Amino acid sequence: MSKTWVVTFETYLRQIKSWSFLFMILGPFVMIALTVGISYISANSSRSSQQVAIISDSKVLRQSYLQQHQDGINTKITTTSAAKKALKANHLAGYLTISTSNQQLRADYHSSKVMGNGLKAQVQNFLNQVQTGRNYQEAKLSAKQKQALAQTPILKQHVATKDGATNLAKIISFWILITMIYIILITYSSITAQEIASDKGTKIMEIIFSSTTATSYFVGKILGILLVIVTQIAIYLLGGWAGYGLAMHNAGIKRLVTANQSLVDSVIHNIVNLNLLYVLLGVIIYTILAAYSGALVSKAEDASKAAQPVVMLGMLGFFAAFPFQNNLDALAVKILSYVPFFSSYFMPMRVINGTVSLGEQLASLVVLLATIALFALYIGRQYQRLMLQTDSENMWQHLIHSFKH
Amino acid sequence: MLSIQHISKEFGPVKALNDVSFDVPDGQILGLIGQNGAGKSTTFHSILNFIDYSGSIQWQGHTLSAEDFNHIGYLPEERSLMTKLTIEQQIVYLARLKGQPAKVIRPQIDDWLERFAVKGTRKSKINDLSKGNQQKVQLICTLIHQPDLLILDEPFSGLDPVNADLLKQAIVAAKERGAAIIFSSHDMEHVTAVCDQLVMLRKGNVALHGSLDDVREQFGKTELFVTTDWPAEQLRALPGVGSVTKRHGNRYVLHLTDAAAGPNIFDALTQGHYIEEFSQQPPTLDEIFRLKVGEDHV
Repeated sequence: MSKTWVVTFETYLRQIKSWSFLFMILGPFVMIALTVGISYISANSSRSSQQVAIISDSKVLRQSYLQQHQDGINTKITTTSAAKKALKANHLAGYLTISTSNQQLRADYHSSKVMGNGLKAQVQNFLNQVQTGRNYQEAKLSAKQKQALAQTPILKQHVATKDGATNLAKIISFWILITMIYIILITYSSITAQEIASDKGTKIMEIIFSSTTATSYFVGKILGILLVIVTQIAIYLLGGWAGYGLAMHNAGIKRLVTANQSLVDSVIHNIVNLNLLYVLLGVIIYTILAAYSGALVSKAEDASKAAQPVVMLGMLGFFAAFPFQNNLDALAVKILSYVPFFSSYFMPMRVINGTVSLGEQLASLVVLLATIALFALYIGRQYQRLMLQTDSENMWQHLIHSFKH
Repeated sequence: MLSIQHISKEFGPVKALNDVSFDVPDGQILGLIGQNGAGKSTTFHSILNFIDYSGSIQWQGHTLSAEDFNHIGYLPEERSLMTKLTIEQQIVYLARLKGQPAKVIRPQIDDWLERFAVKGTRKSKINDLSKGNQQKVQLICTLIHQPDLLILDEPFSGLDPVNADLLKQAIVAAKERGAAIIFSSHDMEHVTAVCDQLVMLRKGNVALHGSLDDVREQFGKTELFVTTDWPAEQLRALPGVGSVTKRHGNRYVLHLTDAAAGPNIFDALTQGHYIEEFSQQPPTLDEIFRLKVGEDHV
């Protein structure tokens, strides 16, 4: 096994076995579980107090209402006294009494709050429907007259649903992509810089550099950290897939997903293409920069400061992308989609929007790849000198010396 | 053979090494001595390509390549290990970086731990070991891959006499195996005990170079060990005596300004009678070291 892989696996195993990695992996799952759990408990506890009871002397009327509307109705309460008791105990949002007097329907809603618009429309609709039926019966109209009176005006909305879904898919894809890059970048810039800076000036580096070349060691470190990133993404994909499988057992979510299948497909299509390569290469170039930044600090104790410049640069790209999401024809977007460190944010925006040719995408990728290769080579050559430095110069002085060297 | 020819190194205005040359043949031990800042670590860093230098350093007739790293064992002056690893993980990791398969190294670990009397098992965390035991583990990491070139920067520093003897045995064993060994030390007793030749650096220059006997002979037999009832003042008044150091009781060392004064002093002290001790010798390495360092302060 080559020495680069020895370093890669040592770095990978050390990171994977750490408590911080476990917490980092479990963090989002714990957050989701907590959110879902709290929402579920909260929904269960408040569900009964949000229900409405339907009371009527006429069993037919009550049954008729319950047949049409079941959501949010407490069917167990059938009497006014029971309803009053439940309302007082805060187990009901209110109760509706439906009565008939001289062929006229009447509904009275008793509650501490005003009737919601949805419930109001529901009740109004039911009363109109029943009252109209009774009126027809009372008027003894012929079938033709009934048909004439049943005539209603037509209101139809014409919405270009396909375009709407496409635009929504673009927005969702854009946010998923840049948020993904940003989160990975922020998390791993710190980890990378600290991983490198913690070795800074220690004599173990002398032992290592008496065993392998600095370039080989540097590349091994970067590959180790990239493997950790890939592991985290793989765990999240598996977790997401398992979560999706579980969620599809819920009829409501299944209905929602089925209704928006084309949107889901569009989002997946927008992400799983060259854009994924941009995410990967973006993470690689920022990881290399973070490693360089870690090597520039004056001592291991300064490790926490090492990632700051990289995080700032990542934030700059992230926030710079915001104003342009609806103005993709701007010259700045076109230029930045070729500039390494920014192209990972800006080119995917253009790809998602379909305003860039394959040739332009490949040209930008070549620039990014070439920069990564040159950058890794340059840092690999500087790495030994930087890591063995034990002077008291600060990070920026080291950077200037590094350029002079 | 390690061959160092005319190497020089400057750090800004400071000349750390100035035209330093020496060879370390296979199966020989060279002691590199000198005061702090004399250029010992800079010499080691040059050999290991940690720094740029002018001149030539060759190993077995060629410039050191990445492949040669596999045959080097290096112990830096300050000890440092990856404290979160176990002894086994640390030894195996560093050995694999030397191109050794883990399956070859693992079976040897217990034997090495026993040889160096390390208080701990292969599963002990480095962090849980005492400083002395960490140092022994680092020595094992330096030696376990049977290097052909051993570079040891102050290897005896911090070791008690028992452990220093264990290290001496390991160094001699490596020499008998045919390894070229170069080590630095401030303790002349260790240098005298194991070195075939020595190089003394002073302000980046080679101040002394040769076998131990040759170096000592260069200074002549100017140390006279005597046991006599004569008082120190009377001894100091003898012709050719520079100074007198009292050892203990009536035992003295007379430091001669001229080695040829020995026979006359012998006659004066014995006057045809028995004398318990009279031995004329070259100065010890310790004295030579002090003498050379003293030149800087004159």
